[in-house]
Amino acid sequence: MKGARRKGRLLGWGRWFLGLACGAAGLCGVVHAEEPKLPADHVNWLGRATHKGQVTDADRGWWSFRPLARVTPPKVRDEAWVRTPVDRFVLAAMEAKGVRPAPEAPARTLARRAALDVTGLPPSPEDVEAFERDGAPDAWGRWVARLLASPAHGERWARHWLDVARFAESSGFEHDYDRPNAFHYRDFVIRAFNADLPFDDFVRWQLAGDEHDAGNPMAMMATGFLGAGVFPTQITANEVERTRYDAMDDMLATTGTAFLGLTVGCARCHDHKFDPIPARDYYRLLSTFTTTVRAEVDVDMDPEGYRGAKAIHDAERRPLEEALRRYEATVLPGRLDAWVASGGPARLAESAWELVVPTEAKSQAGATLRPLGDGSFLAEGKNGDTDRYTFVSRTDARGVRALRVEALAHPSMTRGGPGRADNGNIGLSRVRAWVRPASGGEKREVVFGKAWATFEQNAGGLSVKSALDGERTTGWAVDPKFGEDHAAVFELAEPVGFEGGTEWEVRLEFELNTRHNIGRPRLSLGRGGELALKGAVMPGPVAEALAALRAGRGLDAGARAALMAWWRVEDPGWREASDRLEAHVKAAPKPSTTKVLACAEGYPAVRMHTQGGDFLEATHFLRRGSTEQKDGVATPGLLSVLLRAPEDRWTWRPPEGARHTGRRRTLAAWLTDADQGAGHLVARVIVNRVWQQHFGTGLVATPNDFGTQGARPTHPELLDWLAGELVRGGWRLKPLHRLILESATYRQSAALDAMKRAADPSNALWSRWTPRRLEAEALRDAMLAASGVLDPAMYGRGTLDPATRRRSVYLTVKRSQLVGDMVAFDAPEPLTSQARRPVTTVAPQALLIMNGPHVRSWAEAMARRAGAGRDADEAVARRLYGLALGRDPTAREQAAALAYVRGRGASDGGARARAWADVGQVIFGLDEFAYLE
Amino acid sequence: MNGFTRHGLGRRGFLRSLAAGTVLVPALASRMAAETAGGAVGGLAARPPLKAPKAKRVIFLYMSGGVSHVESWDPKPALTRDHGKTVSVDEFQGRKGDFKMFAKRPQWAFRPHGRCGTEVSELFPHMAGCVDELCVIRSMVSDHTNHYEATLGIHTGSFTFARPSLGSWVSYGLGTENRNLPSFVVIAPRNPYAGGQVWASDFLPAEHQGTLVVPGAEPVANLRPRVVPGRQEAELEALARMNRRHLGLRADDPALAARMRSFETAFGMQMEMPDVFDLSRETDATLRLYGLERGSTKGFAWQCLVARRLAERGVRFVELIDVGSSDNWDAHGDMETHRPLARNVDQAIAGLLKDLRSRGMLDDTLVVWTTEFGRTPFNAAADAKGREHHHWVFSSWLAGAGVRAGSVHGSSDEHGIRPARDRVHVHDLHATILHLMGMDHELLTFRHAGRDFRLTDVAGEVVKGVLA
Repeated sequence: MKGARRKGRLLGWGRWFLGLACGAAGLCGVVHAEEPKLPADHVNWLGRATHKGQVTDADRGWWSFRPLARVTPPKVRDEAWVRTPVDRFVLAAMEAKGVRPAPEAPARTLARRAALDVTGLPPSPEDVEAFERDGAPDAWGRWVARLLASPAHGERWARHWLDVARFAESSGFEHDYDRPNAFHYRDFVIRAFNADLPFDDFVRWQLAGDEHDAGNPMAMMATGFLGAGVFPTQITANEVERTRYDAMDDMLATTGTAFLGLTVGCARCHDHKFDPIPARDYYRLLSTFTTTVRAEVDVDMDPEGYRGAKAIHDAERRPLEEALRRYEATVLPGRLDAWVASGGPARLAESAWELVVPTEAKSQAGATLRPLGDGSFLAEGKNGDTDRYTFVSRTDARGVRALRVEALAHPSMTRGGPGRADNGNIGLSRVRAWVRPASGGEKREVVFGKAWATFEQNAGGLSVKSALDGERTTGWAVDPKFGEDHAAVFELAEPVGFEGGTEWEVRLEFELNTRHNIGRPRLSLGRGGELALKGAVMPGPVAEALAALRAGRGLDAGARAALMAWWRVEDPGWREASDRLEAHVKAAPKPSTTKVLACAEGYPAVRMHTQGGDFLEATHFLRRGSTEQKDGVATPGLLSVLLRAPEDRWTWRPPEGARHTGRRRTLAAWLTDADQGAGHLVARVIVNRVWQQHFGTGLVATPNDFGTQGARPTHPELLDWLAGELVRGGWRLKPLHRLILESATYRQSAALDAMKRAADPSNALWSRWTPRRLEAEALRDAMLAASGVLDPAMYGRGTLDPATRRRSVYLTVKRSQLVGDMVAFDAPEPLTSQARRPVTTVAPQALLIMNGPHVRSWAEAMARRAGAGRDADEAVARRLYGLALGRDPTAREQAAALAYVRGRGASDGGARARAWADVGQVIFGLDEFAYLE
Repeated sequence: MNGFTRHGLGRRGFLRSLAAGTVLVPALASRMAAETAGGAVGGLAARPPLKAPKAKRVIFLYMSGGVSHVESWDPKPALTRDHGKTVSVDEFQGRKGDFKMFAKRPQWAFRPHGRCGTEVSELFPHMAGCVDELCVIRSMVSDHTNHYEATLGIHTGSFTFARPSLGSWVSYGLGTENRNLPSFVVIAPRNPYAGGQVWASDFLPAEHQGTLVVPGAEPVANLRPRVVPGRQEAELEALARMNRRHLGLRADDPALAARMRSFETAFGMQMEMPDVFDLSRETDATLRLYGLERGSTKGFAWQCLVARRLAERGVRFVELIDVGSSDNWDAHGDMETHRPLARNVDQAIAGLLKDLRSRGMLDDTLVVWTTEFGRTPFNAAADAKGREHHHWVFSSWLAGAGVRAGSVHGSSDEHGIRPARDRVHVHDLHATILHLMGMDHELLTFRHAGRDFRLTDVAGEVVKGVLA
């Protein structure tokens, strides 16, 4: 299928959660649900007489809520069959029913089974052969260990988890904006599985990586989990609130199903119908995410490397600083004295302008006014539609006759500014100033008279004078003179200045057009001399020091220091030492930051043509899930049914000044506490997922529903024992994989006799191997690998192009353009957590194998690799079978293949190669190729 | 086996004997697979139904999102009369209680149509013109107020768990009449609520799974044969032969048998599907009938015309979905959104009915029109422009083979809130459809997980009143 055809809205705007969140309850039924398994008192939790939104001990008695049972692997009669303790549980159940395990599968079958299962790639013919020859008792263990150590393992198993995490790289809905930096989450999952990151950390980081270790790139990448869900664009003001609740619901519902196997989202509109999850618990859990937003965060991908380089650089800086300090202490004073003695101050013309050095510089809209060192400020960050800058300063100057406002150019602005408008323009709608004696007293507004400027856009409403007319809609603008320094002088109606100093408050207002804020303002006050637009500025104390020197007076230490700091740039020796230091500082190593789509707190949220705030100040209890019916503020809390200690046991308070609230970390602490919190259930759920991916079905057949509507475990003791092993083993998954992979249970063949069919028809006893079709990704990867054209490049941004030769996990998941080849083989729509893919068998799949252009090109590559058109036909046939199926062809198969190729009348090499490509494509179509045997 | 025999036994026999040195395979994959499929009735081979059927095939028209019954097929003058007045209901959006709601008058006026005089609203002027063909059911009942569950229910009879789709059951019961095409085809521009579960075969053998066709330039991907049919046939022969060895190891695995059959169907589809989608030889008059612009591959008109062509070619069950899980009939915000949706389907469906009639196909084709639930005749606010979900009662219709044409079955109460007479549950509708196809919903079963499953679970009665 062509992805483009799937375009369009994925979800309706109208109350999609009703169809989705509660629909998730139905999703648990994707699997073949068995008969109702509810004890009488659980048929309908909501309908129970005792139900008052209260969770009782009886509710806590549901099997999955109970603590892990302490289990000892049982004794069995056939001890010889047992390879790992897993087998004891499985065999004991079989023996109880009089069922015998299936015989062990042949070595080659096992080698291929484990390779596809663990890495998603077929083993090379050489490896299979070596394994078959290796008769050592530990051969299987080594084979398994080697597969688990392969980087391909993470790529394979990451894909399983990405289904659970409803991972995609676009926002869904009709615009389906791309999330170009979402791939980091996928990379995190791959790295985590390869490094065997303990599963409790895996949980902690996905929910609260920023709260645990914001300096750790893996932890930050992990938070993409929460933000991977759908999110609409172009939200109007009255949709903001509902949309925000939907977004938080997505975080909570996914957390609930992925880690707890509970449809927590079903308690949004009402107490959960079947599980003991009151709506009250839902909203308290939901408030965990109140301030959590999707954000593009600059993450240092190599913090260690940066720290090392920085340390070296800092060490190298110290001698330069020392040299400059020594020069200033020993040489510079003499130089200044010589300059003064030579009549320097007298040569310096008296400046009209005294720089305003504000004690306070504020933007009303929230821009950051960063001093640049030359008296100017660079407005950064928030660029308000309108803004007002306020500067407060103190001066001893008296007789101030004018205020000069400079609007300076800067490369960070569009066309160099001087404004932050989309075209670089400014729009100074009004200038106001107030003064009062520094010693205290009434503030009074200064009255301006004349005004003139370097340039004004017109003589009317955009002239500099119109900045004094009190009108918001008129003011000083400078289009089209962009990229230049501009200045305006506002003359005072009468001179101003108080004995003992004056406090000035100057306010620049930008209200005449959108974002026409001056990007780099500088203010100065004019006294004597010519009130030049471009005249130099000099800090007040320097002007006074120079005046004193000219008058022949001496300087006190403070005045001398001020003068020296201002004058020193004139001294070549100082400049040289200073330049050396500056050059070094400029060359400081920078963290190699990369934009990562995180989901965290305290970062600017990604906005997509949305109105309103990024989050709501508080999360409320909602009646019937309706934002129209608020019922008080919900404070963060946990699921009552999974508490065996007071809630505050897990509460984590972040340090003072932290940008996060600690709420998610609290949730994660509870989820990973296997003793008192929900960790025992989390362990059961992940153990079951691992079992499911190895065997095709979980011990619990409903991996996303461990509630009363879900299936019961076929082997509860085994599930608890494995969960216990996981926790005892430090939550590491690879030992768990080994317990399963090395078991005799895993090594059974698919053989099925009449007795077994009768005694264990659905293989609930795990008394044989159940073959299953490879998923879309593994099937495609297997073709690429067998053809030898697989590009093993790991990590990084993916692609939508199905012709890519990278592994399928790197196919970009764009919600409106799912890759057709993947969808044809049941890759799911990533709207909600997907626990288990359906396996369909439909003709379009066969069409893809028969006619898909990529499949053909891989078949050709495989034929070439097998020596088609070059080697003897017998060798080609053998090699083809080896590459694709890990075995030799039978005599009959070989004869058939040869006969086919010869029957095609392929006399020349090219035609023969094509005929062999046909055979290769036929092999791609074989059940044996597509099924995990 | 049409697709295979068409290309001559000679080459195949030749290839077979040449390839294997002897005739290894007594028949093609399909035949051997048919022997192995689970259940009493397996495979796609056409099977006679238990009883003489009225209908040989079904065209199932599904309007996604919930069409307002009180604005389409169920006239409620009392709603107009009581507009703005309060009505009392004991449940609202799944919540029990005593709720005071405001009655809302229909946005489209009703008039009697045809010889039968059945009232239809101005929302569907073209379908109204076909009312003498229809049996309108005004007392449909579903079990769930959510899209997901109600959609699953109307398709599978199960409102909670995935179960085989109605189309899969029909395919399972009767097989297909054309081995070159799937027996169950779904034409949908977008995924519906519950996605592919709507046409899943679930525990039924996989060959009864619906095959999705998406309107557009390439409705089925990879349809163009890579090589000439003869050579491809040889490849498929080889595939069948090699797979057979594999299948032999696990004779019980219906999935593998179905897989072989999927290749066979795919092979046939290459030849037959392009012809299905080639509308160039349809006359201008036919295109006009459906309201389809020549060359267009979009809209419900295209879906309807392709449905007729599939039906002609022996596809057992064709489902058309309008339109998917979004931008659909789910008119919470404003009933006006029904207007463009109605325009998209109205003439096309009427055209389909007329076309089937003129070709004599309506005599053995059953056409079903339904939605997952209706819309509330009332609202929580007096000035609300839209309507909410309403599964207590809604309207569907049947037309064609075995249906009492020009009739109305059942009725809702004065305000269209609950059924008043002859309630028809989704299970009853399913039982009736199977009955018209010559099957008994209580006997069409499949053993799975130790019990016999059926489409209608443990309920459902054939609605005698809709039968001719």
